[in-house]
Amino acid sequence: MFKNLLKKKLVSAITFSTVAALSLGISAPSSQAATTTIRLYVSADTNILDLWEKTLVPAFKKEYPNYDVKVTFDRNGANDAQTLAKITAAVATKRDPGIDLIDGGMTTTLGTSGLLFPLAGNLLPNLRMVPKVLVTNGKGGIPYRASTVLMAYNSKNVKTPPKSLAEVLTWIKANPGKFTYNAPSGGGSGYSFVQTVLDSQLSASEVQKLQTAADKETQAKWNKGWDILRGLNKFTYGQNGTYPTNNAGTLDLLAKGLVDLAPVWSDQIASAIKAGTMPKDIKYYGISGPSLTGGPAFLGIPATGKNRSAARFLVNWVLSPTAQNLIVAGNMNGIPVIPASKLDPVIGATVSDINIAAIRSPYLSPNAADLRTAWAAEVPGK
Amino acid sequence: MTQIKEVTVGDSLAVKKPARLSPLGFFMALPPVLVILVFIGGPILIAFAFSLGFTTGPNRIVSLIGQEIYPKTNWWGTFDAYKSVFTDSRFAGNIKATLEITFVATTLVIILALGMAIYQRIIGGRLAAILMALSLVPLFVPVVIAAFAIRTFYDGTGFFKTIFYHFGINFPTLTMTNNAVTIGVIWTSLPFAILMISSGLQSVPNALIESAQDAGAGIMRIIATIMIPLAFVPIIIATTFTAIGIMGSFTIPYFLGANQPTMLGVEISNFFGPYNRPQHSIVMAFIIFAAASGIAFFYIWANIRSAKQSGRI
Repeated sequence: MFKNLLKKKLVSAITFSTVAALSLGISAPSSQAATTTIRLYVSADTNILDLWEKTLVPAFKKEYPNYDVKVTFDRNGANDAQTLAKITAAVATKRDPGIDLIDGGMTTTLGTSGLLFPLAGNLLPNLRMVPKVLVTNGKGGIPYRASTVLMAYNSKNVKTPPKSLAEVLTWIKANPGKFTYNAPSGGGSGYSFVQTVLDSQLSASEVQKLQTAADKETQAKWNKGWDILRGLNKFTYGQNGTYPTNNAGTLDLLAKGLVDLAPVWSDQIASAIKAGTMPKDIKYYGISGPSLTGGPAFLGIPATGKNRSAARFLVNWVLSPTAQNLIVAGNMNGIPVIPASKLDPVIGATVSDINIAAIRSPYLSPNAADLRTAWAAEVPGK
Repeated sequence: MTQIKEVTVGDSLAVKKPARLSPLGFFMALPPVLVILVFIGGPILIAFAFSLGFTTGPNRIVSLIGQEIYPKTNWWGTFDAYKSVFTDSRFAGNIKATLEITFVATTLVIILALGMAIYQRIIGGRLAAILMALSLVPLFVPVVIAAFAIRTFYDGTGFFKTIFYHFGINFPTLTMTNNAVTIGVIWTSLPFAILMISSGLQSVPNALIESAQDAGAGIMRIIATIMIPLAFVPIIIATTFTAIGIMGSFTIPYFLGANQPTMLGVEISNFFGPYNRPQHSIVMAFIIFAAASGIAFFYIWANIRSAKQSGRI
């Protein structure tokens, strides 16, 4: 009773996000005692692991010393199917899945199946700063950063990079061997290029269908797109229609100067240039008509996780301006999910012209899996 | 080789004491058998049931998540998933690539290993010892590192490409082709084959070779009629293990191969993960298993043959 009163009082003061974060500390009793360990499961590329291990977790622990975060890493979600099965089984039998917080592509799948802890607005006050459409798309997952696929080019060899998808396709044919994208099964940047070419041959409503529901009928209309992609085989870097295996493969070819134009993840290219593993001549930009896809990354709290309140506390902190500043300005070079005006003015200025709600999103996961297998059957080596 | 020695030792003991059932021996053999039954045999059975369309019990969750699952239609299951894999446009190319690479690479590995082992057995000396030691280096390099190194070596800015460029020759880029996969699997399989075959040749008695020489046999004749037949079992073991290892390889074809056609090891992983078709990947795993069993048949046949020759059965 007293606790509820306390909560209500504090909720009224929630506009100050830091205060709200503190209130969570009070309302989560376990945090008062000894250290609470939050078990975080990261199923993504290595730059995301670095974001957590080198940036977010140390900052969080410095601010809240009575929390600890144990990170488990699954590179590129190689074990997603098993992890999904584990969580599904744990929630079905009301047991602790051994994971308190997930960062990975499977979050939306879990959310759609109702396996995530419901988002109580007053317990996650910082979520109010995030655009509503992103929260709705998360289906229970919490958007915490975004990235998008961009076109990277070697400015030494390409003076005027092609601005639209149609121009890109013409450019590829005019410059044989100087463009590539990676197999969609191996990484999101190649996936995004393939989906964008397919989308360019579909109507807006058909694209939307594929983004929201498993839809075999609409998939049949991919044929025109496959023709276009097959037509590129002769003109891309690989011989006989072969493509790099993953995101890193594309970046490698770009860094060695073997290709002059390629789709890349915004965060990976920015980090690589900053780290010096990518020559300074490589520049990047967004194309139009249609644009390459991207979108927010979601965090998920499994419904039966043992330390779910602590996980919620961490999530709320990640959505705070302090943490969002780190996501944008650190080595991650992410796109924030809260308005740029809430960030540090210098950092905010670098992302102020990005409208996160307008980024074209990828297909729903069953359609995306179908796209990957269909690409492998339709395009390479044909 | 050590295996064979053990067998002969056990054999000679068995001659002295007639075999009888000892409970102690049974319990000593029990732990590995139990581990295999519980942790390997069980999952294989469950997976096999899944490939036949048994989607309940332990296969319930994976059937909920996976796409294009074929549930059983008869009491014994269904072959729909197998049918779906066999009719997939990619499958013929993939199995062809897998068998081709396995055959070519295994043949080359055995020829190279025989050459190395014979050189060391007949000529010997310091150079042979150094070469032998060098040839074992790949054994101590993790496959992932090796694959990446080979990729860097043969890719568009690689060693050969750069050297030949200076002479005005356009050396082909080997990465992303199945030729690179063949080179890679030879590199990783060679040390084991060399170890196996050279130890087999070491056990050929000098007296036999010398008496053949005294009788006027040439070196080729000694190799063909004395050394290879006497080292036959180790050669067969090296061949079967190399072939099975290559057939199931993943890292090398993943890093060095083309997207399509690719080796089944990579395709299994693709179907399991990115394509989200676990049933298909299990079907392919059983196809590889069947092919590997076919190769293992030679291994068993060679062992039985040697046992017959030494009069054990």
